[in-house]
Amino acid sequence: MFLRITWKISVLGVALATAGAPGQAGAAEADAEGIAFFEKNIRPVLVENCYKCHSAEARDLKGDLFLDSKQGMLNGGESGPAIVPGQPFRSRLLRAIRRSGELKMPPKSKLPKRVVLNFTRWIKMGAPDPRSTERARPVKQSIDFEESRKFWSFVKPTQPSVPEIGDTAWPSNEIDHFILAKLEQNKLTPVRDASRRELIRRASFDLTGLPPTPEQVTGFLNDPSEDAFEKVIDELLKSPHFGEQWGRHWLDVARYSESNGMERNYTYPHAWRYRDYVIESFNRDKPFDQFVKEQVAGDLLGRGKRPPTDEQLIATGFLAIGPKPLNQGNDRLFSLEVIDEQIDATTRAFLGLTVACARCHDHKFDPIPTEDYYAMAGIFRSTDTLYGTANSQGNRQPADLHTVAASDDDRAERIRRHNSELRKAKRRLNSMRDEIEELRGKRRASSDDKASLRRLNRNLKTLQANVTDLEEKEPGANYAMGVRDGKISDVPVLIHGEIRNRGNMVERGFPQILGHVKSYPIGSRSSGRLQLASWITQDDNPLTSRVMANRIWKHLLGTGLVRTLDNFGSTGTAPTHPGLLDHLALRFVGNGWSVKSLIREIMLSRTYQLSNDTDDTNAAIDPGNRLLWRMNHKRLSAEALRDAMLATSGRLNPRPADGSLVAKLGDVNVGRALRELAQLQRKANDHRSVYLPVMRNAQPEMMRIFDAAEPSLIVGRRNETTVPTQALYLMNNSFVVGQAYSMAKRVMDDTESNRDGIRLAYKLAFAREADDDEITKAQKFMASASGEKDRPGQWTLLCQALLASAEFRYID
Amino acid sequence: MNDWRNSITRRDMLKSVSAGFGYMAFAGLSSTHAASGSPLLPKPPHFRPKAKRVIFACMRGGPSHVDTFDHKPALARDNGKQLGKYRNRELMASPWEFAPHGQSGLMISELFPNLARHADDLCMLNGMYASVPAHPQSFIELHTGSFQFVRPSMGAWVLYGLGSENQNLPGFISLGPPSNVGGAQNYGSAFLPAYYQGTKIGEFNRPLRTASLRNLSNEHVTGNLQRKQLDFLQSLNRDLLARKRKSSQVEGVIESYELAFRMQSAVPELMNTGDETQATLDAYGIGNRATENFGSQCLLARRLAEAGVRFIEISQGNWDQHRNLNSTLTRNCEATDQPLAALLRDLKERGLLEETLVVWGGEFGRTPHAKQKDGRDHNATGFTFWMAGGGVKGGITHGATDEHGIAAVTDRMHFHDLHATILHLLGLDHEALTYQYAGRDFRLTNIHGNVAHDIIA
Repeated sequence: MFLRITWKISVLGVALATAGAPGQAGAAEADAEGIAFFEKNIRPVLVENCYKCHSAEARDLKGDLFLDSKQGMLNGGESGPAIVPGQPFRSRLLRAIRRSGELKMPPKSKLPKRVVLNFTRWIKMGAPDPRSTERARPVKQSIDFEESRKFWSFVKPTQPSVPEIGDTAWPSNEIDHFILAKLEQNKLTPVRDASRRELIRRASFDLTGLPPTPEQVTGFLNDPSEDAFEKVIDELLKSPHFGEQWGRHWLDVARYSESNGMERNYTYPHAWRYRDYVIESFNRDKPFDQFVKEQVAGDLLGRGKRPPTDEQLIATGFLAIGPKPLNQGNDRLFSLEVIDEQIDATTRAFLGLTVACARCHDHKFDPIPTEDYYAMAGIFRSTDTLYGTANSQGNRQPADLHTVAASDDDRAERIRRHNSELRKAKRRLNSMRDEIEELRGKRRASSDDKASLRRLNRNLKTLQANVTDLEEKEPGANYAMGVRDGKISDVPVLIHGEIRNRGNMVERGFPQILGHVKSYPIGSRSSGRLQLASWITQDDNPLTSRVMANRIWKHLLGTGLVRTLDNFGSTGTAPTHPGLLDHLALRFVGNGWSVKSLIREIMLSRTYQLSNDTDDTNAAIDPGNRLLWRMNHKRLSAEALRDAMLATSGRLNPRPADGSLVAKLGDVNVGRALRELAQLQRKANDHRSVYLPVMRNAQPEMMRIFDAAEPSLIVGRRNETTVPTQALYLMNNSFVVGQAYSMAKRVMDDTESNRDGIRLAYKLAFAREADDDEITKAQKFMASASGEKDRPGQWTLLCQALLASAEFRYID
Repeated sequence: MNDWRNSITRRDMLKSVSAGFGYMAFAGLSSTHAASGSPLLPKPPHFRPKAKRVIFACMRGGPSHVDTFDHKPALARDNGKQLGKYRNRELMASPWEFAPHGQSGLMISELFPNLARHADDLCMLNGMYASVPAHPQSFIELHTGSFQFVRPSMGAWVLYGLGSENQNLPGFISLGPPSNVGGAQNYGSAFLPAYYQGTKIGEFNRPLRTASLRNLSNEHVTGNLQRKQLDFLQSLNRDLLARKRKSSQVEGVIESYELAFRMQSAVPELMNTGDETQATLDAYGIGNRATENFGSQCLLARRLAEAGVRFIEISQGNWDQHRNLNSTLTRNCEATDQPLAALLRDLKERGLLEETLVVWGGEFGRTPHAKQKDGRDHNATGFTFWMAGGGVKGGITHGATDEHGIAAVTDRMHFHDLHATILHLLGLDHEALTYQYAGRDFRLTNIHGNVAHDIIA
């Protein structure tokens, strides 16, 4: 109703204006005619059907499009100008009301043909529109970055004062002040401290993903010194297993995988180098800022004449190991998908920002305009991604790889293997040629002969390609996935993310919301990755340090201070302890981005050392333990569960695996290689789980069942499900039965009596003593299970029950 | 206000008492109610549903619509002509005759004589289209709504939205899915929690006879001994629970073992069709080489539906007839016609068809013109799906392709619309069924999807 009144008034206004306007008669007449046409046939339709969503009065403006002014129509909205005067068929508005494209307007009802014809005529006339004198609307509501930067995660962390607390005797370090203050405010009291037994099992799993050995337990229990736990922590931090455990956490975030996944799935036989790089980096406590820099721009870190090291090249594998639609024949579309994936991984892994949401429109919730997405897209468009993959019919996008040096002893062996492979292939090629010659020479070829000739010719081609491939490869060289700078260019905004819908060019750069972080100009000769890396790792980047400190906290305490680990935007959750998060972030940076130091500090807090006991009063106030009045009941990851079984049975091979089984498979289609993989796995399967092959859509069964990270996604926090398929696995799978059997043998070999055997089994499985009740119960079970005199059988049943129990799978 | 929701759940529970598993299933259901509230328990839909479950007969390869369910007289008339747009390609009339069937007079080709008898139950969706005419992309889009990104599959969304009616069986089962064209992604859960992912039973295009769930039995122990072991294991778990006094995690573990143990007997019981009459086996074409494989899938699908499994997918491959259309399409239709007809009749006789939505279709259709004689190429611009039961109108045609069957022109339905409609029939609003991940709410239909209200009974 209101709209209609407005319209009538303005009609009146326009009528007065035209009546009083002097000018050349002819033109004025035409104008007047056009405007009359507009007033009669166009404006009422617009008011009636369009203004509700496309005017200054619209409650919820759609598509950034204003149809209530001439300028608004010319400027258009998200998808471009609404009309092109004189050219009806290039006018989006017309296409929409004719409902001939994707966009159909008005959404609910079709306009009558007559009306559509009127619009066509009007645009042909040049779209005369008196509303030019009426107030033009702003074309686009722009983001107020100053205002947006007040959101907590964009504000640079400042050293918070350590909160006042009542019970000053309780804290062990500053972290505890922050925790206790919140507990006291909410009338919560921390539960008892964990016992030393509980503590050492917890620390050992948290830092190495392995249970403590009985000797480690005894050593800690018998150490009378004050700093006994500190010594335990330092010992564990020094273990090479630390990097395997914490490296795996990072590999979750880095969506590490050894195949491209998606519709045609090919192996990445060189991906494992990145895996080993990550493990090594955590073991050496490489400063996290350097770790990030290497992954984003390691290939650009050479100085002067010194080229980047192999390690730096391998690090850039981070940008290359993502899922890729290799069957995509359109190069540009393919490249856009790769870029999108790189933007997503980079911004969420390091910054907790979901920039990829802004591909098709401005971010709906966070201050990230589409231009920012394309500013980053330019950086990755100027980058070549090197991921190799098989030359095959289904792979339309094979790529190059980095060449890295091989170690010397490795090298001789590789050259030998390469040459023998080449020799073999050539020999096969020759004999195949002979066969073909022979068949061709036959006077009377049977239909069988013809068929084999066709088959041979086909195989010949593949083999020929193989030989060429081998000849081109440098014998003894090693390959790694990664990136390098390519052809440098900016990219245009693609409106609605559509490849044919180009908008303005955007200069390469970084999300403006973090414009208050120092950055270096990109210039025209580099992709901008180096600048991106240095911008991400500025000490005062408010996100990088907070995001990583929060990840570390999560792995130790069970939940993040910010629960949405990869999303620090407005759809994420706010920190439960903002002051503590800032404190940790600043300590992290202050200690030279040392991951180990931060871990140490957190583990030395009394908060970390609380027991997992429950408490009714506390539970009534804070049932989810958000404020940490006790330790969360953490579950072993899929990897830790498998590794703990291997360790308990005594079958664990503690040495790092040499490469990966996927490397042994070579460049192949995953689906076709599964059988061979299963055969390979039968031979050597006792290394730690981090070294198992991780291929997309083909994860090892146990990893898949026990919630290992989905390798196509960026996973800061894994799902934790408890389902019957897990129980079935633990009850019936031959791997578990095998471990139980080995554990049984170990127990039988090392002890004389049933009683001692049961004791040892409990110690191995739970790192604690069995009490008398438990021993009696176990003895009774074994007796009841002795239909025959099969001692190993009885022990196996007992050991399997322990391995399958809740106590084994959870950490107190 | 929520009365109908409660009554549905109650009815479901009573149902599972009377169906195959009897008391055990009922006890299982009620005990889980008492326990921590498993995410797979039945959940109320958004509104009153028409269907409770889905059987999706997935025809991998892209079946030709103009030779089966989309009758095109103009194609016969213009046989051999070249269309301006497609040079070197001649329109090819269907070598098969179409005839009206049932009271509705639905036109179905002679390739499906048995299914044709159910014409009045079929809802033909002749205006389907998809985004890409390439197998892997389109197959994944059909299953997950996106060929660009890794997203949860349709069955996972349904399970997430509705839970399962039977806690002794997986709620989403895919029988013999293909291992290529996306493989596990097509029944995966992506960012949804893993308990919503589909469980694969059997291998693609291989007989179901030997197939089963993995890890269902332990060859080293007898059932009796294993029960003793489980009792001991559960006593360990209960001791831990007592020490902890309260722990939903430990409770969850205890529950999962009981469920697993029941599954060990429930699944083989279900897979073993020994209790079916010879007449039933014959009806599905089991025992006949041509129909054995797909017939066993259809029969098992009915047994799973009866047991309350929420989403069941069955597969038949080799519809990719670039060559030898005459012989191979005949073979494919022969392999599936009788089993599909038997499935519909069986469901109907058991009163299950009205609450079970049967969906048939592949990743796209085929072109009415071809480069080769006796073959048709990929066509994503227009093809046919059909539905039956589950609250859709029978004996109707919705949507149409142009006169030759090249492109969908009226009441066009994209896979997104198909997804929206399937969810709607199950009582789920496709715009409200969301899951938050990576900073935004995701849907099966992304930002698309229109429900085809016209087909709903």
